[in-house]
Amino acid sequence: MYGGGYLFEKTSLDLLADEDQEKLAEFEARIDRGEKIEPHDWMPKLYRRQLIRMIEQHAHSEIIGALPEGTWITRAPGFKRKLGLMAKVQDEVGHAQLLYSAAETLGKSREEMIDDLLSGRSKYSNIFNYPAYTWADSCFISWLVDAGAIVNQVANSKGSYGPYCRALERICIEEAFHLKFGHHAVTWLATGTPKQKKMMQEALNRWWYPMLQFFGPPDKESAHSEVLMRWKVKILSNDETRQQWLDMYVPKIWELGLTIPDDKLKKNEETGKWEYTEPDWDEFVKVINGDGPCNKERLAVRKTAEKRGEWVRKAILATSPSKEYVTPLA
Amino acid sequence: MIALLDPRLKRLSLQKDDLPAKENLDQLPTYEVFVQVKEPRPFKHEGCVHASTPTMALVFAKEQYSRRGTCSGIWVVATKDIMVTGYSDNATDIYGRFTETANCQGDEYSIFHMVKRGTQHSFAGVVKAASPQAALACAGKTLPRKKPVLNVWLTKTANILKTTEEDKAMWATTPEKLFREAIDYKTQEKIKAFKENH
Amino acid sequence: MNIDAIKDLAYKMADDQLIIGHRHSEWIGLGPLLEEDIAFASKAQDKVGQSLAFYKLLEALGGQDPDTLAFGRTAAGFHNAIFAELPNGEFDFSIIRHFLFDTAEFIRFEMLAASAYQGFSNLGKKFKGEVQYHILHANEWLQQLGNSDDKTIARMQNTLDYALPYALGVFEPSKWEEALLAEGIFAGERELQARWEERVHAALKQTGLTLPSLTTVEPVYGGRYGQHSEHLQPLLDEMGEVINSEPGAEW
Repeated sequence: MYGGGYLFEKTSLDLLADEDQEKLAEFEARIDRGEKIEPHDWMPKLYRRQLIRMIEQHAHSEIIGALPEGTWITRAPGFKRKLGLMAKVQDEVGHAQLLYSAAETLGKSREEMIDDLLSGRSKYSNIFNYPAYTWADSCFISWLVDAGAIVNQVANSKGSYGPYCRALERICIEEAFHLKFGHHAVTWLATGTPKQKKMMQEALNRWWYPMLQFFGPPDKESAHSEVLMRWKVKILSNDETRQQWLDMYVPKIWELGLTIPDDKLKKNEETGKWEYTEPDWDEFVKVINGDGPCNKERLAVRKTAEKRGEWVRKAILATSPSKEYVTPLA
Repeated sequence: MIALLDPRLKRLSLQKDDLPAKENLDQLPTYEVFVQVKEPRPFKHEGCVHASTPTMALVFAKEQYSRRGTCSGIWVVATKDIMVTGYSDNATDIYGRFTETANCQGDEYSIFHMVKRGTQHSFAGVVKAASPQAALACAGKTLPRKKPVLNVWLTKTANILKTTEEDKAMWATTPEKLFREAIDYKTQEKIKAFKENH
Repeated sequence: MNIDAIKDLAYKMADDQLIIGHRHSEWIGLGPLLEEDIAFASKAQDKVGQSLAFYKLLEALGGQDPDTLAFGRTAAGFHNAIFAELPNGEFDFSIIRHFLFDTAEFIRFEMLAASAYQGFSNLGKKFKGEVQYHILHANEWLQQLGNSDDKTIARMQNTLDYALPYALGVFEPSKWEEALLAEGIFAGERELQARWEERVHAALKQTGLTLPSLTTVEPVYGGRYGQHSEHLQPLLDEMGEVINSEPGAEW
């Protein structure tokens, strides 16, 4: 699961100055022709660096994203939900594995990436710093956060880097299950008993604004890079993904009799765009920088998992016939 | 920090402080995974796993790369044991670069082809040769191909750990695990009934 | 056929798989490495899926629906071995339990495949391959950790010694042993234990671990008759927290 709002550092175009201009022209021509770049191809340093950063953030978001829903894994109500939620959270871990592998093909080892996550050097999607207070929160995430991620991931699967696109294609197929599982669970709550409806409505109230933030700051405010678009590293703008999501899911939320906590929300029939109350972008920045309700917990949990697993990894590394790590192929 | 909400975590004592810096990162080697979805389709590259032994790689690959739908076999090879060629440009066959005469006898090599950028490598067949270079020359001569090949991976067949005939039973119930499939979560009737009552 | 005997065995199997599957699920997202996290999550799903199949069998024999059976009973009504309900502890215990428990399950499914009762033979055959994978997974971990450095081997040996009394509790005889045997429904706990000891011994022999003489190990019984450790009821309370918060609702 991942939204837009990539935390690109300012794109330092001076990195491009000392590239071999002939190779750079060939590289750009290949992308223009719609061909994918593969791991052993020549690529500009800036391209490699931004891709590693983006795929790594995406992978971290999957592994951290397993935690809010994991909150309900031992309490899922009934066999259907218990099996479905286990499979869903497992998929998130699986996605992290696929994405780390794709990033590894660019030359950064998985353990380095995990180390950067644990030390706070590397970011992940902001939305997972919010808590899942009730079962209904986990249903919201399964349906609507994943729906947001799909909009973004379908777009990115048309990007230029082969291994990332292949990972995303598989991820999107699995996300289709997440979406249906989540929609099913939300539907059963929203059409259920008054207590269930209330539970679902309260979760929606909690998650609405973090969800709008999920796609990243408005385009006019985000440091956008023309070169990343040209290289098909970034495909859709933050506002484009947000609008797509609103267009697809607001009617589906309404048809379940739920109320979206924004009086101003409506589709402008002239522009075809949704109008809404902006979420608090100062809060967004604050949470990204570590001061959200769950930032500390999320990292503490990953550190705990890392620490509990350390003896296991060491023990099997000791028996491994070959300890040589080379960059995965594709 | 708000109170922990996950009962699983309440039972653990959470690591509050930073972990000490590691002298060495505990990085396991990787294995490349090839999956056959169904006989007689070719084995196709799906990705890699981090593992300490070939058997562990197979165990991990089974759940990471074949937990949905059908599967009739998995191969794993240590990444370091695979050799790769460069990429040819579109529509030119990479084998044009490996034309020296070679004695096609010796160890068996397994050959994997990529025919289009963005797609995965598929198993193309085996050749016998005394060296990887010779294996490429022999593969160019003997392996049938409908399209120009852009990139080749090769490894000695002996490096590949393969699931056996008996292992196929492990996938017997996989297609029945509908709780992992979108199709098992239908909402239409429920929503229709809800709308009719409101 | 003796329906009470069949039900008793079906309950044992259903409850065993549900409770250990639930325990396995506690590792999801928290495993020692990503690949193992994924593999263990599948085992959790497989176990819970197997328990559902046995609850459905019980439902067909006139019992309540699976959700009510699984989420609606208190500890005294559960027939799982105490071994299954013990907390996960650290990865060494989870793997040792997985190995000891699933070796028994694998043989039990083999024996069920040969049952004169078709409901059992169908399920025994159906899940054989699934459990075969669990055994492959458990054995590979046992081989690796059991042949690692001295510190790891000592840790594993310690855990094995702790786990064995509970593992033997899996074979607590039911009051239906003779009826099951006489009608060819199931060859019995004693037979199962004998075959289990053989396989456990063979697997351990290839590691640095030693299997103590099992005659000196006192089994922890009680689970099959609803007498559980202090760990089961809290597990059930947690598992049923949401579904039991609004009785009669659909989730």
